[in-house]
Amino acid sequence: MPSSVYIHIPFCKSICSYCDFCKMFYYKPFVDKYLLALNKEIKEKYIGNIIKTLYIGGGSPSSLSIDELKQLFEILRTIKISRDCEITIEVNINDIEEEKLKLFHKFGVNRVSIGIETVNQKFFSFLNRYNKKDEIIKKIGLVKKYFNNINIDMMYAFPSETLDELKNDLDFVTKLEPSHISIYSLIIEEHTKLFIDKTLPLDEEEEEKMYYYIIKYLSEKGYNHYEISNFSLDGKESQHNLVYWNNLPYYGFGLGASGYIDDFRYSNTKSLNKYIDGKYIKDSEIVSKKIMMENEMMLGLRKTKGVNKKEFYKKYSLNLLDTFDIMDLINKKLLIDDKDNIYIPSNRLYVSNSIIVNFIGGCLK
Amino acid sequence: MDKSHIRNFSIIAHIDHGKSTLADRILEQTHAVSSREAKAQLLDSMDLERERGITIKLNTASLKYIYNNEEYTLNLIDTPGHVDFSYEVSRSLASCEGALLLVDASQGIEAQTLANLYLALDNNLTIIPVINKIDLPSADIPKVKKELMDLIGFDEDEIILTSAKTGEGIKELLDRIVEKIPEPKGDNNLPLQALIFDSIFDSYRGVVISVRVFNGTLKLHDTIKMMETKAEYEVIDLYVNTPKEVKKESLTSGEVGFISASIKSLGDVKVGDTITLANNPAKSPLPGYKAMKSMVFCGLFPIESSRFEDLREALSKLQLNDASLVFEPETSTALGFGFRCGFLGLLHMDIIKERVTREFGIELITTAPSVVYEAVLTNGDIILVDAPNKMPDKTLLKEIREPYIRTSIFTPSEYIGPIMELCQNKRGNYISISYIDPTRVNIHYELPLSEIVYDFFDKLKSFTKGYASFDYEMIGYKASDLVKMDILLNGEVIDALSVIVHKDFAYTRGRSVVESLRKSIPRQLFEVPIQASLGNHVIARETIKALRKDVLAKCYGGDITRKRKLLEKQKEGKKRMKQVGSVELPQEAFMSVLSMDGE
Repeated sequence: MPSSVYIHIPFCKSICSYCDFCKMFYYKPFVDKYLLALNKEIKEKYIGNIIKTLYIGGGSPSSLSIDELKQLFEILRTIKISRDCEITIEVNINDIEEEKLKLFHKFGVNRVSIGIETVNQKFFSFLNRYNKKDEIIKKIGLVKKYFNNINIDMMYAFPSETLDELKNDLDFVTKLEPSHISIYSLIIEEHTKLFIDKTLPLDEEEEEKMYYYIIKYLSEKGYNHYEISNFSLDGKESQHNLVYWNNLPYYGFGLGASGYIDDFRYSNTKSLNKYIDGKYIKDSEIVSKKIMMENEMMLGLRKTKGVNKKEFYKKYSLNLLDTFDIMDLINKKLLIDDKDNIYIPSNRLYVSNSIIVNFIGGCLK
Repeated sequence: MDKSHIRNFSIIAHIDHGKSTLADRILEQTHAVSSREAKAQLLDSMDLERERGITIKLNTASLKYIYNNEEYTLNLIDTPGHVDFSYEVSRSLASCEGALLLVDASQGIEAQTLANLYLALDNNLTIIPVINKIDLPSADIPKVKKELMDLIGFDEDEIILTSAKTGEGIKELLDRIVEKIPEPKGDNNLPLQALIFDSIFDSYRGVVISVRVFNGTLKLHDTIKMMETKAEYEVIDLYVNTPKEVKKESLTSGEVGFISASIKSLGDVKVGDTITLANNPAKSPLPGYKAMKSMVFCGLFPIESSRFEDLREALSKLQLNDASLVFEPETSTALGFGFRCGFLGLLHMDIIKERVTREFGIELITTAPSVVYEAVLTNGDIILVDAPNKMPDKTLLKEIREPYIRTSIFTPSEYIGPIMELCQNKRGNYISISYIDPTRVNIHYELPLSEIVYDFFDKLKSFTKGYASFDYEMIGYKASDLVKMDILLNGEVIDALSVIVHKDFAYTRGRSVVESLRKSIPRQLFEVPIQASLGNHVIARETIKALRKDVLAKCYGGDITRKRKLLEKQKEGKKRMKQVGSVELPQEAFMSVLSMDGE
């Protein structure tokens, strides 16, 4: 049974040029209908088990009005939440106001994830995001009044970005002292404005340099590099995201959300009309044990600690090293086999696909 | 059957000049098939033939035609249109008394048409010239007529005008076939002599042989004997195609038909051989038998080493249908176990490669095609070398000889310059240029066969916007200053990439090969140096930089299925590459060694 829940709120006050998530402009009549449908979906699928991580993402959940947020939290009361449950909400920096923060706190939110991406003015119009530094400082201060577990989302590898510019962004974000930083290279995904504008990516050599610079910089500031793009202070790893990377089950509720229950993976429709009509699921598949084990590696190797051999055995009653033929990768030092774990060495993380691809269809059992 | 009412003929035409459409129209006019049945191009039965618009294997149809209230049997013997199969063409022509020379009304005579016409004339065939596609707006009938008259010496009134598309002229053509083409000669009372001009493998019947009976009579249940291979079989079935199958009790002199005799091995049936009766054999075979000789060789290796036996089975099955395919196991340190295969020519090679992949689902790596060299050793022995890595050590070599061809390139005269430059770059010796008419020429060069095995034809087409046509004949071996060039990846010689080159061209070739390898080999997890060397002497070097970025930066709950699909796609790409030592090589890398320009 899943002990994690993801809730998707697709509405945003403005749309970022790189975003390929399921999102739409905030529009009050849609929000009302949407919350009703969400309530129905949860009641249909959720079977009343205790939940240990709850993640409210988007879109921008923070784009909802106070009343709508109250309504949302009312709906979420259906979900039985454990005492130590990690409850995260994604917040757009421009939506932050004290009353909303109070409301989050009252509901039990204990982790806030804030998108900043960059404070480099040069890229504001390119990203369609406008974040003034002093404004950010003020708003983060406000958030800290209510929450001590804060993630900040950053981005790098914008076209023409320099290492110095990246360093400025890192200087700024670390001064805010968040407990967690996610930092992603800019990906020009299909169906985004950047893709349509035929944006050219930064040279891959330059990007790789930036990546290893970030690891070095954040490590020196005390952040643990625990997943390809994620850094945290001790004990502040995102419990919810670890569910994904540990290939554990989770409910996904809301437009475009995905879930994984027992051996059933599903993705919800991205069509608001269908969703409101109660036709939630668009695609689904039954995951075989073989694929499950391959996914375990595909996801687990994203973590710097990799996959724990004992855990693997506990889950599948098979030895990891008998299940995949990886001696060659180990001999070439593309994988490290230490006492407990199999992992990708730090200097190979940026080519991890070339290593992970060997696991796809590579299950011997 | 009464010989005076049999006409055996084939059609000589260049690719695209409408041979198959004309054949279909003839079938229709003789009511062999209704137009509804006439699926486009009936005689081309293999998928590949229809796709490529060429005839690879022969088909024969026996048609009834009423002329002056008398019924005639017209045997249409189809011929392949490509130079690779010219021996098969010559055998089908030997089975006929006449041939239609089919020329496109807008294109005029092409190199290949002429080559096959000469073959027909060698066989003393009566030629009926036909100008086809007269319905096309671009048709220039007077010009093509003049070509036929000037070049070959026909009289204007001998030439028939047709449009296979509209059916115009077809009846006149059929009448002309009956009137002009002589009845077959031969004597039913002499011992049997039947020429094998084709064979196919049928999974139910075994080998089916196409024959033309010259003398004697062949009956059901006769025991036949192949005069060259000495194999004996009992005739189980005799039939003709109309193109529906019609059973026969016997075949007599002048007739064309099919024999099935539960023959399991195509090796027993050689095109050009003569069939006689075991208990009353002919004194001598019909003239003209030649063993087929492979002209081009390459290595075929399964990408997945475990499929070696599957590949052997696939090649054996293809060989049942195509005796001209030869293969033997080959071991490469780089590619593992595979087969060295011999082909009649490049088209033949392409077809076999494609059929292995398509019909048997085996992904292949093919090494660069090579010709057969003669290595003359210091002790005077001559050995045949069909793969670069079989070349004896330099110290044992007196000289190396390579096969040469003589070209006929038909082209509009404005392309003479580029074509001569191309031939010059391919180590050609100029022989002559003859004018067909004021605007078209026939260019003769002597070229090493090895220079045309790769991109010569493509280049010729692109330099001449597709207007040139090309044909060649073998003229024998000549000594050349040749050396083996090795390619090293990560400091290791990759035997499958070695190539034999002319010494004077070695440096340029070396540079262009490493450059083109650098472009065709994707970045790997490690830096890969590429070198070209003559012996221990490195003549060119490039480096493939290590891959720097191959990562999914973001992967969350919603992404898992999608991201897995991305990786599955990446895996598919990887499957098409061959792991050679520590380097993954795509198929293109193996062709890069023939690169002349590093484009």
